[in-house]
Amino acid sequence: MASIMRPGLLRQACSPAASQRMLSTFAASSVKRSSPLAQQIRPAFERSSILKSTRVAAFHATRSQQILPAPPQRVVGTANDPTPVPPPSPSHGSYHWSFERAISAGLIPLCVAPFAAGSLNPVMDSILCALLVVHSHIGFEACIIDYFPKRRVPLLFNSANWALRIGTVLLGLSLYSFETNDVGITELVKRLWAA
Amino acid sequence: MASQRIFQLGLRRAAAAPGFTRFQPAGRMVQRRLAATHNVSSAEGQEILVKQRLQRPVSPHLTIYRPQITWYASSFNRITGILLSGGLYIFGLSYLAAPALGWHLETPSLVAAVASWPVAVKIAAKATAAFPFFFHSINGIRHLTWDLGIGFKNKTVIQTGWTAVGLTVALGAYYTFVG
Repeated sequence: MASIMRPGLLRQACSPAASQRMLSTFAASSVKRSSPLAQQIRPAFERSSILKSTRVAAFHATRSQQILPAPPQRVVGTANDPTPVPPPSPSHGSYHWSFERAISAGLIPLCVAPFAAGSLNPVMDSILCALLVVHSHIGFEACIIDYFPKRRVPLLFNSANWALRIGTVLLGLSLYSFETNDVGITELVKRLWAA
Repeated sequence: MASQRIFQLGLRRAAAAPGFTRFQPAGRMVQRRLAATHNVSSAEGQEILVKQRLQRPVSPHLTIYRPQITWYASSFNRITGILLSGGLYIFGLSYLAAPALGWHLETPSLVAAVASWPVAVKIAAKATAAFPFFFHSINGIRHLTWDLGIGFKNKTVIQTGWTAVGLTVALGAYYTFVG
């Protein structure tokens, strides 16, 4: 049973020089640096020569399935520092939440109307475009916050956020240009669908 | 147990050692440890710690959970949203860059380009746009009802989830092949 739990122990016991090594307490030369005994004695960060699978097997019954590598992990401060709590602010909380929901709810009639009426008039189409820009921006922002945590990858977080902001402004400009010079989003989709 | 063994071994070793006759002061413990140590500065120690943290196992996620409509629909909501918004951003930025790059993204040229596609490609393009659009729209209504505090029972969530999937398939198929 112990051999299943700790393969390193088994390997030590089975190797030919085991008895000699187990009996020698003081003679450092007889303990190979790669042996499990030496591995246990050495500092943890030096235990690199022992096989990774041997170390992991003691705790995990199944193969590890790593989807993505872990992002950099650093500890700021000590273990006794309290978690920083941001100052409560409704513009980052309840107002923001309600604003997001109002945008989403406003999109429902604007998405249903073209299916009923065939298309939208230019004013409604422009409102749809504006809501889509804001809704998309909020969605991408949520993805950046979730997948590029500021605490772990501050540089990536900031650059992604700025790229998104620039992209959103350019998209607004582009849709303004499309709405004023061309036929409008709903009419474009309608014509493309019929093409 | 270990200390006993070490004591015995020490006795044995002392008896066997040629230099046993050498005098050792009584009451003085001579202890040797097999630890290889070396001095590490505080900054270097931090570096070692950071490297060591990267070797910690990543906690298992997604793949260990049973696929269920509750969380699958939620992730598909985000995926379809990224697809749709990504398409909008790509179209918008290309439309803005078109004059500089010499592209023609005005409605008549786009319609003419799509009209020249084979039927299979048209259907594939329509399906790629229609299914994510209907799923994100219908599932979005689900999310808005939850925001109102309605439909939180597990059974209701499962029912509305499969309803959203069914409506998506029906509407997506209709607008892909008929509309």
